[in-house]
Amino acid sequence: MTDYIRIELLRMLRNKRYVIFVVAFPVAFYLVFSGIYGGEVAAGGLSGKAYFMVSMSAYGALAASLMSTAVPWAQERGSGWLRQLQITPLSGWKIITTKLVASMLLVLPAILLVCAAAVLVQGVSLPPGRWLGLLAAMWLGVAPFAALGLTIGSLLPPDTAQPVSMIGMFGLALLGGLWIPLEVMPEGMRSVARVLPSAEYAGMGRGIVAGDGLPAGDALAVVVWAAVLGVIAILAYRRATARA
Amino acid sequence: MNAIAFADVSRRYGDVLAVDGLDLTVEAGRTVALLGPNGAGKSTSINMLLGLLRPTRGRIEVFGHSPDEAVARGEVGAMLQSGELIPELTVRELVAFVRRLYPSPLGLDEVLEMADLTGLAGRRAAKLSGGQTQRVRFALAIAGAPRLLVLDEPTAAMDVESRLRFWEAMRSYAEGGRTVLFATHYLQEADENSDRVIVVAGGRVVADGTAAEIKAGAGGHTVRFTLGGQAAAGLEALPGVSAVEISAGTATLRTADPDATVAALYRGTTLEVRDLRIDGADLEDAFLSLVQESR
Ligand SMILES: Nc1ncnc2c1ncn2[C@@H]1O[C@H](COP(=O)(O)OP(=O)(O)OP(=O)(O)O)[C@@H](O)[C@H]1O
Ligand SMILES: [Mg+2]
Repeated sequence: MTDYIRIELLRMLRNKRYVIFVVAFPVAFYLVFSGIYGGEVAAGGLSGKAYFMVSMSAYGALAASLMSTAVPWAQERGSGWLRQLQITPLSGWKIITTKLVASMLLVLPAILLVCAAAVLVQGVSLPPGRWLGLLAAMWLGVAPFAALGLTIGSLLPPDTAQPVSMIGMFGLALLGGLWIPLEVMPEGMRSVARVLPSAEYAGMGRGIVAGDGLPAGDALAVVVWAAVLGVIAILAYRRATARA
Repeated sequence: MNAIAFADVSRRYGDVLAVDGLDLTVEAGRTVALLGPNGAGKSTSINMLLGLLRPTRGRIEVFGHSPDEAVARGEVGAMLQSGELIPELTVRELVAFVRRLYPSPLGLDEVLEMADLTGLAGRRAAKLSGGQTQRVRFALAIAGAPRLLVLDEPTAAMDVESRLRFWEAMRSYAEGGRTVLFATHYLQEADENSDRVIVVAGGRVVADGTAAEIKAGAGGHTVRFTLGGQAAAGLEALPGVSAVEISAGTATLRTADPDATVAALYRGTTLEVRDLRIDGADLEDAFLSLVQESR
């Protein structure tokens, strides 16, 4: 299975769309936003540059997890690569586990690069414990989105999976307050944002960076979302790979 | 021991009965061609054999196990009728990955060599031509050294020379007791590369044997001569004759026994026979007549 994970990582790192959306965009946006708002103080007492560090690594991770799952997986089902794997000894649960693990690993470049830009360009500094907490929360907290991407890839053909995952990505990012802080959103949007996992995902990161520790409510919400979407992803996967 | 056993297997897609009560066994070590026209049920049968499709009725065994078990044990390798590769990966990466999924695979260089890919090993799949892609798919099918190799129209998209090399590679893989089943519409391919031909049409087996037996069984030969203006009555009653066709003053008799037909033509009729020609029906004719009979 490590072979399979390696192959999956390799192919995504060679995929231009992944590299642009996931590696280049978040860092570029971070530099722009933090350049404009870096000196201001955001809600919760965070500096603008730290606030956007969390927002943009959350956005990058969200994009990476969706981009590395939905469309590639829909394509593999459509192109016959899945069937090629199904006639080897590789078992079905190894395929989905690998997809999930590979997708979780593929979010790391986005998170690490945004944090590196924050440190190197904007001089953000945190105690080591908060860095570790932040990275762990941002990394593991991406599980609901990876599950969502696998669900989209299992249920839709590639040409619909593409726009749906894009809409999902921008919708979750925008309404989850990753682009516009929740505090300045109109009330209607904010009530939508409250039920989306992306707001809570970023909320975990902000709490840790602010030194308040992991916000229990946000963490619980992310875990529940991960469990629910995980179950849906498994059901969708089983449906997509069933031998009829 | 049987490598493959189909027992009364049917497969239905809605209203279409794609495979209709298929009964068939293939001994281990044989190379068998599944020959049939478009829509005959070849791919459906193959996909059931590989566990990708479930039969509507009947039972399939591969080396005495269910298809799923045989696949899980690494006993089966296959080239499906269509399928793409992962575009971002190189030929070597793809082959190396798939071979390591099997318990006792062939060596990586050996596979690349057999599939004639040594010179393309570093190329990404996105940049391969259609025929080259087929060769990679063949490499993936044999990489794990499966005891049963299944090929669904493997030479589609290959040029003449690639075809020849492909069949050579297939034969060398089959040596040493491996079993091969391949589907084709190319009659000549079936004849030249298998030791048994199973002809399917409309989801049923319509002939099964060596290529020579199939030719013989399907009204084997033709006897042709110039009839001119003479009356053709009585030709269909000659011994061995199964069909008579007259066109442009030429009579064509289809016969299972050309010697008896010709002897009777000279001795038993008063016709003036000129330009007599006897031909063995080629497999093409045999195949067409079998397929037409089954309709
Ligand atoms: N997924 C499907 N849904 C409905 N009908 C199908 C499906 N797949 C195949 N069929 C029908 O089943 C029959 C057998 O198809 P199959 O693909 O097995 O033929 P084949 O012998 O492989 O033909 P070809 O030489 O064209 O590949 C055809 O009539 C086909 O239209
Ligand atoms: Mg077919």
